[in-house]
Amino acid sequence: MNWLFDFFGDAANWSGSGGIPVRVLEHVEFSVIALLFAMLIAIPLGLLIGHTGRGAVVVVVAANAARALPTLGLVVLIVLLVGVGTTWPVLVPLVALAVPPILVNTYEGIRGVDDDLRDAAYGMGLRGRQVLLRVLVPVALPLILLGLRIAAIQVVATATVAAYVGLGGLGRFIIDGLATKDFPSTIGGAVLVAALALVVQLGFALLQRLVVSPGVSGRAQAR
Amino acid sequence: MITFEGVTKRFGDGTVAVDNLNLQVPTGAVTVFVGPSGCGKTTSLRMINRMIDPTEGRILLDGEDIRKIDPPALRRGIGYVIQAAGLFPHRKIVDNVATVPYLLGWDKKKARARAMELMERVGLDTKLAERYPFQLSGGQQQRVGVARALAADPPVLLMDEPFSAVDPVVRTSLQDELLRLQAELQKTIVFVTHDIDEAIKLGDTVAVMRVGGRLAQIDDPPTLLAEPADDFVEGFLGKDRGIRRLSFVPAGGLAVRSEQGIPGWSVVLDDDRRPLGWRAEGGRPSEGNGYDSPAKEGDPLEGPVLNGTRPERPPAGEARTRAAAAGLQPFGTVDLNKDSLRAALDAALLAPSGCAIAVDGEGRFTGIVTREALDAALARATGPADG
Ligand SMILES: Nc1ncnc2c1ncn2[C@@H]1O[C@H](COP(=O)(O)OP(=O)(O)OP(=O)(O)O)[C@@H](O)[C@H]1O
Ligand SMILES: [Mg+2]
Repeated sequence: MNWLFDFFGDAANWSGSGGIPVRVLEHVEFSVIALLFAMLIAIPLGLLIGHTGRGAVVVVVAANAARALPTLGLVVLIVLLVGVGTTWPVLVPLVALAVPPILVNTYEGIRGVDDDLRDAAYGMGLRGRQVLLRVLVPVALPLILLGLRIAAIQVVATATVAAYVGLGGLGRFIIDGLATKDFPSTIGGAVLVAALALVVQLGFALLQRLVVSPGVSGRAQAR
Repeated sequence: MITFEGVTKRFGDGTVAVDNLNLQVPTGAVTVFVGPSGCGKTTSLRMINRMIDPTEGRILLDGEDIRKIDPPALRRGIGYVIQAAGLFPHRKIVDNVATVPYLLGWDKKKARARAMELMERVGLDTKLAERYPFQLSGGQQQRVGVARALAADPPVLLMDEPFSAVDPVVRTSLQDELLRLQAELQKTIVFVTHDIDEAIKLGDTVAVMRVGGRLAQIDDPPTLLAEPADDFVEGFLGKDRGIRRLSFVPAGGLAVRSEQGIPGWSVVLDDDRRPLGWRAEGGRPSEGNGYDSPAKEGDPLEGPVLNGTRPERPPAGEARTRAAAAGLQPFGTVDLNKDSLRAALDAALLAPSGCAIAVDGEGRFTGIVTREALDAALARATGPADG
């Protein structure tokens, strides 16, 4: 506990380019960029595979790769390939980490939509794309958001690796703390990462309320 | 008119679901496809809106080969109702009903107004408009399904076992509702069911199919009941064919005695000349299954009258209590202008006197249909089949 007071109580930790606000912003920046790239790849792919039923093997491979992926190893490999000083060594593994949960959940969400519903949609005269965007996506939205949330939390937790290659983010507090035996800094960094993950969780809960139809979430009030 | 010309559907795995089907679905009438499970009813139906394309043969819609029509465009002009209702769970009821109008590019206000109108048409409280499908009962959802199919006023309606997932009471009311709607709208309806009674009740024409996707017989219900083409059709029609056929014989031909009684029995009327019951003449004791039990408020006075109508205003509880106190016996009524011979027979069987009471549209006494009159009518009905 004292270590936490030492860390958060020290005014020096709150200002300058190495201060908490800047580090949090850096951390969020990595995470958001990585998540955006992952969404750009995984959501269209998941929708396409789920909708057409073709290429499901990609999803299976992605799901298994996710478990085996050595994030830190990937960081080091990319540093060796492209050198330090860029954000690529951090972004690539984070994106690779985020793609599988988004892909798998998007795919499962679309696949899982009731066949009768799909049938009715086509039977009403919706075209393939309209069926996907107007019916399947709204109904699959809770699962798609779940995938995004899992990905976001993993990314936020893992973005600490940026510090290994000399970049910023909350990882700095943890790694520098370990290197200099400054344990308050290590613990403080870890707490900040956890807090950020919590914020992400809350953010998604809020988002879910805003974008998922009450008819799907079952939240509508009977009148 | 929808025409099947030598239509065969063979699925990828070799299953022949429909085998050389030739039939015509007349405009403005209900054609029912009926048959045992797996006989190809759904497949036949879904070929009409190109959810499935035939392997061989062609289907014409008012003379035009539907293969030449872009499927989504074709489907927007054909209402489609399925067993599971298939409502969009993320949309409010009113927007579900307005699905096709939206697709056709109607403006939102007009589409919603139309949806509200249709909800009323199919007997849905418009207060449900802002609800979501999960907040509705199965029967209500099915009505929404029908309203949605009708929203853009398509001339053709395809219905695949639309009422088989609801309980019998709701099913009956949905069937009656459909008949009422159809009398108003005169759509070309193709209705799939595996329930022969539903087929006979709803169909102007009934096509009986056998497993293997072949047509066994296509005829109007009375002909089907009177002259099944073969053992399969006869077996499928089930028992009571004779009785059920009487539903299609109008009661109008029955002889009516205008006296208010027959030997041994007389009809007791209220001040409005509506029947209250039969009274045994000569002090016959009441049988104990009549009005002896205390009558409950709202009980219909007579038993159910199949295919018939009850008097508009059944005697109120008080009148019934008086009827019971007076030792009156149960009765059944038949409106000769509306009801069938089956309803007349049923009305007669309800009364210990063995006679039906004929009433007018207001439920007022017009006479008595005796057993002899029923006998004569039955003899005529079961005479030469095409007479
Ligand atoms: N997509 C498909 N692939 C292969 N066989 C199919 C397919 N759809 C239907 N069949 C087969 O075609 C036959 C007819 O099926 P269909 O669904 O038309 O029957 P049905 O008369 O509607 O039966 P039910 O009353 O059970 O709904 C069945 O033997 C069924 O197994
Ligand atoms: Mg079927």
